[in-house]
Amino acid sequence: MRNTTKIGFVYALTLAGILIWLGAIFLAPYLQSRGITFFRFVYGCFSTVCHQKPTRSFFIFGHPLGVCARCLGIYMGFLAGLVFYPLNRGLSHLRLPDKRLFFAVSAPIVLDTAANVLGIWNTSNAIRFAVGGLWGVILPFYFLAGIGELVLRRKKL
Amino acid sequence: MNGQKPNYLTPALIGGAIAGILSGIPVLNCLCCLWIIGGAIVAAYLLGKDAQTSLTSGDGAIVGAFSGVFGAVVNSLVGIPFQAMNLAFAKRVFERIAEYGQNMPSDWETWFNRGAGPFSVAWFLFGLVIAAAIFAALGALGGIIGVALFGKKTSGTPQAPLPPPPQPATPPQP
Repeated sequence: MRNTTKIGFVYALTLAGILIWLGAIFLAPYLQSRGITFFRFVYGCFSTVCHQKPTRSFFIFGHPLGVCARCLGIYMGFLAGLVFYPLNRGLSHLRLPDKRLFFAVSAPIVLDTAANVLGIWNTSNAIRFAVGGLWGVILPFYFLAGIGELVLRRKKL
Repeated sequence: MNGQKPNYLTPALIGGAIAGILSGIPVLNCLCCLWIIGGAIVAAYLLGKDAQTSLTSGDGAIVGAFSGVFGAVVNSLVGIPFQAMNLAFAKRVFERIAEYGQNMPSDWETWFNRGAGPFSVAWFLFGLVIAAAIFAALGALGGIIGVALFGKKTSGTPQAPLPPPPQPATPPQP
């Protein structure tokens, strides 16, 4: 199997994974609104990676999403970056992004998170979503490079 | 590049312990998945510190995934005594806010009740498996980022001395 095909397979799996993940985030409040008790399991899965505080979450169907606004921004940003990836790099290059770019897009989320934790300011959910989304966009460029390199390395062993 | 595989275990254990403990402590766990990614970055840094040559992003993915799994175990264990404390603290905050007539989100009582209830070993183990899978994916991402930030080295292997340049041929004396 050609390298581009293998990386394309990794790309497709990653895209499917993030779509399922985001789908579950929106599914949880829908299930709860319909009184389907499976919603507890779905919320429970996300509780491992998110505090799920209602005051920090967006609402649909009258109930909070499976994750908070910042986490939702990160995952939506990841999806956006993933969609943009083939247009920017194609699927034959596994080069990691420049460090300076990583620090630049990480600075807003680090500052915002630190300021909120220290009580310096209290940002709205929209701001949390935006800084999370900005950081999330760059993440697939790391994820695909690393997993792709691992897949290609296994073939050589 | 030498054929020795890096030692993933120790850095992964340290990174996973850091991520698991910090993500289980009340107040600090508000950083959500960032602790897991941060712990994996630490694991990649420790792996790169001891490595003789530059790491690849695949090495970062491996050490990060292990770090995530260890972090899930530590987080699950740390979370047991803190869970009740977390909920009690948050409930007091929300009740105090409600006293001042602030508009409360409609689901805050459901959020509390979701975390309440007696401890069950079966649910604990099931939750641990779910957490390990999720933490492994996030950890792999963190490990790759860590290698990108800390894993590259200037050449660590000593170079053999270069041979002296050939002397220009001297023309024969007349």
